[in-house]
Amino acid sequence: MSTYILRRLIQTCIVIVILSYVCFYLMTLMPGDPVDMMISSNPKITAADVTRLRSLYGLDQPAYVRYGHWVSDIVKGDLGYSRTYRVPVTELIGPRLTSTFILSLTALGFSLLIAIPLGIFSALRPGTKTDYIVNFFSFAGISIPSFWLGIVCIIVFAVWLPLLPAGGTQTVGAQNMGFWADVLDRAKYLVLPVLSLSLQQIGRFVRFTRSAMLEALRHDFIRTAKAKGLPRQVIIWRHAFRNALIPLITILALSISSVFSGAIITETVFAYQGVGKLTYDSIVGNDFNVAMVSFIISVAMVLLMNLVADLLYGVADPRISYK
Amino acid sequence: MEMTEPIPARTTLSEENRRKLEQGLPMWKIVLSQFLEHKMAVAGSLVILFFVLLALSAPLIEAVTGLDPDVQNVFNRYLPPFSHSVASQDQREAAIEKFITTHPSEATNLQTLLLEKSLVTAAAPEDALYELATRETADALQILEQVGSPQAQELKKTIHGFDTYHIFGTDELGRDVFIRLIYGTRISMSVGVLVALVSAFVGLLIGSLAGFYGGLVDTLLMRVTDALLSLPLLPVMIVIAAVDMQKLPFLKSLVSPQNESILKMIVILCLFSWMTVARLVRGSILSLREREFILAARTLGATDATLILRHMFPNVIAPMLVSITLGVGESILFEAALSFLGLGIQPPTPSWGNMLFNAQELIYQAPFLAILPGVMILLTVISFNYLGDGLQDAVDPKAIRR
Repeated sequence: MSTYILRRLIQTCIVIVILSYVCFYLMTLMPGDPVDMMISSNPKITAADVTRLRSLYGLDQPAYVRYGHWVSDIVKGDLGYSRTYRVPVTELIGPRLTSTFILSLTALGFSLLIAIPLGIFSALRPGTKTDYIVNFFSFAGISIPSFWLGIVCIIVFAVWLPLLPAGGTQTVGAQNMGFWADVLDRAKYLVLPVLSLSLQQIGRFVRFTRSAMLEALRHDFIRTAKAKGLPRQVIIWRHAFRNALIPLITILALSISSVFSGAIITETVFAYQGVGKLTYDSIVGNDFNVAMVSFIISVAMVLLMNLVADLLYGVADPRISYK
Repeated sequence: MEMTEPIPARTTLSEENRRKLEQGLPMWKIVLSQFLEHKMAVAGSLVILFFVLLALSAPLIEAVTGLDPDVQNVFNRYLPPFSHSVASQDQREAAIEKFITTHPSEATNLQTLLLEKSLVTAAAPEDALYELATRETADALQILEQVGSPQAQELKKTIHGFDTYHIFGTDELGRDVFIRLIYGTRISMSVGVLVALVSAFVGLLIGSLAGFYGGLVDTLLMRVTDALLSLPLLPVMIVIAAVDMQKLPFLKSLVSPQNESILKMIVILCLFSWMTVARLVRGSILSLREREFILAARTLGATDATLILRHMFPNVIAPMLVSITLGVGESILFEAALSFLGLGIQPPTPSWGNMLFNAQELIYQAPFLAILPGVMILLTVISFNYLGDGLQDAVDPKAIRR
């Protein structure tokens, strides 16, 4: 088990290193580097200044040399300085990470809470009208573009009925009003993003729960359990659902990554200050240090979650062993 | 709770039914009849058909309605749906000038006719047409009617263009939303379909190589596939989408500013969507490899290419079809998402995603702008998903009811 975890961790690290280099290289291909920006903001700059600046920032060197410098800085704990926000990247990342975690985990929990009962409910009544309707809504959920849903939510709940804030993370100054006021305030800002982020997951989970449950109910041991006269609740939860869990965890693992990915769009729509928005803003705004760090963090989170999900299989299904 | 259906008491088959039952049906008929049973899938395919026709007939619609997806009009920004817009004085003059230069003889004829019948009063004879253009559109058309000359036909068209009816209103630059949506359908659908087809081809190639040859090839290709599958797609796609393709020397000749964003979109989406097909094909080919008919073909001296192309591909096409269909929906969603972030298809080329990108800036003033493209995306994607679902049921050998 521990060797398995170790091997997977090493693999994950290698993937992150490769990806960070690819990302680094791609960044050099983006339009405009730091010196280009200085040139555009300073009309009096001379050609000699430009060459001097380029060599000062190391921009005249090939990408792999610059990557080497960057990695050695990172290893020393220096994440660099944000050009847009004028603060060290370390200061920027912490609160953003918390915000994203809160958003994604709430969305994931919320969608599981809705989807699993709904999926089981419709699996127990295959072919009925209820099943049909649930199926339709889950299809709609999968197909709905989450950013559009976000916009529609803003139009309905913030423009037409001004109930909830259209965007942001928290009201300025709410931290000073006491713990519960702060929590409540943050919750208010979370409602719409969570709603728009989780609908797609709900659709997906409902479909998978339903089919996994139908599959599980077809087994012989269910008939045996019924023949023994076990109560229905026990059959559904202890016998059928436990077996339906294994494929569900696969989907859960995949959807953690899609929730983190999706958070980029949701955070952008709602101006929610998380890592996703930071990644997007820094890439678009050419804020190199921030872009690299937040990109690596997003990737690493997803890869680690995949690992966690793989380990969870073992908990759900003792037949699986890790070598 | 009844979990098994009650078994009906013995039923007797009528002679006719028995004959029907015993008659063999060709595969495609079985698939078709099963597909038709899935009501939503049929509805989905009709919607898709409608959108495809809409996309194909975009130039026709443009010609018939006289709307232009690129014509901007700052005076008519954010018009609500079902409204008229009237061209400004400058635009009218420009249009008349264009008419005079393109149809000089007709123009002079009309000028003299108009002045003779004293339908318009003008300071100089050359101003007659300009004078006409300043009138209300309905009036101007009526006057031209009175002229009664067949040469007025062209001018009528020009004047007709001064008063446009915007069924879905106009956007932030005063462009007609209806025609932009139709052109957007064209772009979004073709990107979706193209990406699904290309990635299916790549997936087929890689999957069949890995599955057929096994060993080192298999390990190598599947490692890459798994690695790509485990990536968080959006951040990676955003990074790649932000790249300036002109900076890559080997692509410079291929890329021009007009097609760069569309080409880039297709490449990026293809790069990250072939993996599911590859895994699917590999799985099927692995199991096909051990079948007797392959052994028989090999014994008869078939080459690897024949084995793969003639004997294996027909067996993987059915599940692939499903995954291509689902892939179209997914690609459309990704394209829309990236364009929505401003990194996909670049304006002025309309796509559903970038129409949403522009619309979100002014949700308060013009919520309608934000709703329409999303509805189009939702309708298309849900149709493709239902179509895929129906196909899956129809081609699944386990579900085949003869």
